Amino acid sequence: MSDLTLTSAPPLAGFDRRFGDTVLKAPKDLAIVSIALPLGDEAKAENAIKAAFGIALPAIGTSGETKDKSSAIMRLANDQAFVLFPCPTPDAERQVAAKLNGAAYTTDQTDAWCALELSGPLARPALERICMVDLHPDAFTVNAIARTVMEHMGAIIARTGEDTYLLLSASSSAKSFAHAVELSLKNVS
Amino acid sequence: MTQVNRIKGGLIDRAQTLNFQFNGTQMQGHAGDTLASALMANGQTLVGRSFKYHRPRGIFTAGSEEPNALVQLRSGAHQEPNTRATVAELFDGLTATSQNHRGSLKHDLMAVTDLMSPFLSAGFYYKTFMWPKAFWEKLYEPAIRMSAGLGRLSMLEDPDTYDKGYLHCDLLVIGAGPAGIMAALAAGRSGARVIIADEDFTPGGRLNAETLELDGMAGQAWAAQAMAELASMSNVRIMSRTTVYGAYDHGTYGALERCTDHLASADGKPRQILWRIYSKRAVLTAGATERPIAFGNNDRPGIMLAGAVRTYVNRYGVTPGQRVAVFTNNDDGYRTAADLVAKGVTVTAIIDTRNQAAAMDIPGVRHMRGLGVMDTKGRHQLKSITLTDGQMIDCDALAVSGGWNPNVHLTCHQRGRPTWNDDLHAFVPGPNLPAGMSVAGAANGALTLAAAMTEGRDAALAQLSDLGLNTSAIDLPRAEDEARDGVAVWHIPQSKKRAWLDLQNDVTVKDIKQSHREGFRSVEHMKRYTTLGMATDQGKTANIPALAIMAECTGKTIPETGTTIFRPPYTPVPIGALGGRARGHEFRPTRLTPSHEWATKNGATFVEVGNWMRAQWFARPGEKGWRDSVDREVLATRGSVGICDVTTLGKIDVQGRDAAAFLNKVYANGFAKLAVGRVRYGIMLREDGICYDDGTTARMGENHFVMTTTTANAVLVFRRMEFARQCLFPDMDVHLISTTDAWAQFAVAGPNARKLLEKVVDADSQDMSNEGFPFMACGEVTVCGGTPARLFRISFSGELAYEIAVPARYGNSMMGVLMEAGREFNATPYGTEALGVMRIEKGHAAGNELDGRITAHNLGMGRMVSQAKDCIGNTLSKRPDMNREDAVKLVGFRPVDPSIPLIAGAHLLNKGDEANMANDQGWLSSVAYSPSLKHSIALGFIKSGDTRMGEIVRAVSPVHDKEMEVEIVSAHFIDPEGSRLRV
Repeated sequence: MSDLTLTSAPPLAGFDRRFGDTVLKAPKDLAIVSIALPLGDEAKAENAIKAAFGIALPAIGTSGETKDKSSAIMRLANDQAFVLFPCPTPDAERQVAAKLNGAAYTTDQTDAWCALELSGPLARPALERICMVDLHPDAFTVNAIARTVMEHMGAIIARTGEDTYLLLSASSSAKSFAHAVELSLKNVS
Repeated sequence: MTQVNRIKGGLIDRAQTLNFQFNGTQMQGHAGDTLASALMANGQTLVGRSFKYHRPRGIFTAGSEEPNALVQLRSGAHQEPNTRATVAELFDGLTATSQNHRGSLKHDLMAVTDLMSPFLSAGFYYKTFMWPKAFWEKLYEPAIRMSAGLGRLSMLEDPDTYDKGYLHCDLLVIGAGPAGIMAALAAGRSGARVIIADEDFTPGGRLNAETLELDGMAGQAWAAQAMAELASMSNVRIMSRTTVYGAYDHGTYGALERCTDHLASADGKPRQILWRIYSKRAVLTAGATERPIAFGNNDRPGIMLAGAVRTYVNRYGVTPGQRVAVFTNNDDGYRTAADLVAKGVTVTAIIDTRNQAAAMDIPGVRHMRGLGVMDTKGRHQLKSITLTDGQMIDCDALAVSGGWNPNVHLTCHQRGRPTWNDDLHAFVPGPNLPAGMSVAGAANGALTLAAAMTEGRDAALAQLSDLGLNTSAIDLPRAEDEARDGVAVWHIPQSKKRAWLDLQNDVTVKDIKQSHREGFRSVEHMKRYTTLGMATDQGKTANIPALAIMAECTGKTIPETGTTIFRPPYTPVPIGALGGRARGHEFRPTRLTPSHEWATKNGATFVEVGNWMRAQWFARPGEKGWRDSVDREVLATRGSVGICDVTTLGKIDVQGRDAAAFLNKVYANGFAKLAVGRVRYGIMLREDGICYDDGTTARMGENHFVMTTTTANAVLVFRRMEFARQCLFPDMDVHLISTTDAWAQFAVAGPNARKLLEKVVDADSQDMSNEGFPFMACGEVTVCGGTPARLFRISFSGELAYEIAVPARYGNSMMGVLMEAGREFNATPYGTEALGVMRIEKGHAAGNELDGRITAHNLGMGRMVSQAKDCIGNTLSKRPDMNREDAVKLVGFRPVDPSIPLIAGAHLLNKGDEANMANDQGWLSSVAYSPSLKHSIALGFIKSGDTRMGEIVRAVSPVHDKEMEVEIVSAHFIDPEGSRLRV
């Protein structure tokens, strides 16, 4: 056994900014695991997902939360979904794979993404500056998700509450992404 | 100065006095003034000098069409040239200076240019400054630029910030005049999502400028009430100070919002916002622009458009003069006289080109019919006008009305052509509007109030119906249609003096006639020869009268003569606004490697690779230049062990029952039989057989592969594979997801690489012996006591080497751990330069070689294109010409004289051949100094290179004016047998 130790340092760890009642912060220990539905065995996979998480696979472009609110599933494409849940250890994929028991393909995406939660009255005006998706409450309802681009960076936006959005973007450009969102808030505050 | 021309009334707030400076003189205005109205109030009639002839110029309009009153606003780094005083909102502390003069505004030394005007007609510089040719750049052009032109830039960095944004709506209403407000009310009350944008700071359009009534209320009061109602609707967004400047595809519009231009300081907020508005439908209610009538010396300060005079009188409570004359060819001009008289201003005469009774009886005003203005006098301010019958009339201001042109500009942004309306003597929107747009009100030729409001309402409701949205019936306010009859009089032919059409670019009637005489018959040619309509005002007041003159010259009608094309932007958009936030450090996103922080602390010099910042080398104290660092890193790696962050290489997770079969399709060589736990090098072809990327793919499980791509092509490869998966092989069970950012990956290379990693990789997770983990092995391991990791035994350097990947969150820490574990081996971090040197020494192809023209055959890998299976690019790679014996082949080169550095890009020629393309034998693609061999080496391509080992050829670089002899050698300069890889 090596006596050398590794330290975890996600790029936005501890990020927390407040603009009045609006908060922009990085969720702690948010794990992301992608699920791919095998071609021809989608029903089997969907059953496994329901058995594992207690909720049906959401429709494309929406997310669903487990009853105990411990996990959320984002349905990104016909054959692709993300499971999001708090997990401080680097074994999120194994946990999900074990639950699905081979019914779907899984890939750990935790470290591929950075996440920011934007919540409060300035959330939508700030996002108006960088997000080309129509975020009107009627057009982008609670639990809606969309893949998009913000400031040249690929992103996923999810409306998780009335005035709350979860933003995901590539972890390598996390600092640029956080700057973009924070600057938007500064500009509208 | 005192506000000598301030009169009663107006929408200004007289309780708020604002101090400002013009050319250093202190003046006062009121809240609600523009700079132009405040200057006018202070009797400052002369506000600038013209572009070419340095003629004294005043204020001509009251809107964004202004060609004359251009000033430099603010000072220092905030100074902005060519600002239209007519739309610049007055604020306390505003400073403005006039532009385009040498000496004072009143005594411009360059006014001598005007005396030379007979020699300076259209196209003079094309003809005059032809000889000697060399004088153009050094003498003529600088001299012309110095004497002509507009304002000056501060030459300092713009201290303001800008932003951009995205908006969505069911209905975009462009312009908040009577028609626009009515459209927005109709749509807003129906519940639709509405955006109403207006360039003015007080919405209302001409309701603010006229004395018209609606429902018995003053027009401006009705407008304010309607806007208040709109503001109370959650489904309506009012955007004042916002110009919709362009109509783009699919209902997308560009709009510029001026957020802080009306404030003394932006206070850290964006000065302007460039909005992209996605609309389902749009109603263009942009109003109309009055056109002048051309006559001799019609550009003197004090000569203005008649509608603008009404605006100054009614909205701003200011008169352009104390004795005003009105010159008109239509009924509308009479209302100017009536409004002036109502405010107590003396109107010396109404001159009507029509020989008919007065359109309106205005007591005390002389009506002169069937006449025109032929000439004017007054150098710095109008003093008198001379009529076509020779009468002279004293006046200090002249209001001119030549009729109204609908603002059709945005209807033409997608090459729609307007159509001529004989009744209006103007172009109106044509049938080919941008998708989803309709036009209403004056912009559509409905120039009277009641008609405009009806059109606005009906257009909005029709758009909502078309969208399938609810519509609510809405009553129109009581309004009248004003008298507006007129005739087409474009210029006064009796005038012998210069008559201006384009005031901003100093183009006269004579210039148009001359351009016609010289053969410029097309409108587009006339425009470019005379520069008419090419100034920052885009000829808003000039184009139609100029077309009419052109039509007279050709004997055609105006519609036969045609129009020039209107293009975005409708009014100028600052470059800063177009750039938005993307400037300086934030010009584009930056991708950081997981060990970026470690590299920064350890002296790395970074290089941009795409968006990535990669460590290029790690300088140590005492090193005199980058070569010292790179040579040291190479020798240390080959001598013991080096560590390099290679996270940037693309990583694609490939899973599925058909993953192996899929990889057989996208790689030229076979992958189906690759054993679990093994890695293979592969090349990818485009459909045309050209090799576009290479890399390794590891089989982590029966249905699970991890592919690596080059850094530069990571996105391209993923995109092409996704296309192949979804479109070419939809029946395959295969799933792709990028894991580039998920894993921090490090190359650990050199004879002590294994010893180093044995200290890091948990012994119980992997047998690290050569037999237990041989060359091209891969596996899931754990490191540092249980952290999951992936280990690959692959080598880019040619040494015993591994790549080890850990979840990216541990990347920075992992770099430190590897260095700590390697301390006893003197482990050395190395950057991209050393990485490049080592791959050239080893003969590995990279981006320099895969340049979009190179095939596997050229790379000497022709046999890798499997004939036992099909793959993308296979068929076209078999074309005979791509498999010629004398095709260029990848080989190595070394200088015959080892002291001479080779030059990348040099072309290869046989000895004795002339250096031309016919004799070209190939080129050097990658060059490096090899610290291992102690001389320069190169990879390159030369015809039949694989059969020419030992031959001496010339490497010629005409760019550097150098040539040298090189010997063709194996591309594998180091360890050609590959024995180091396998120990």
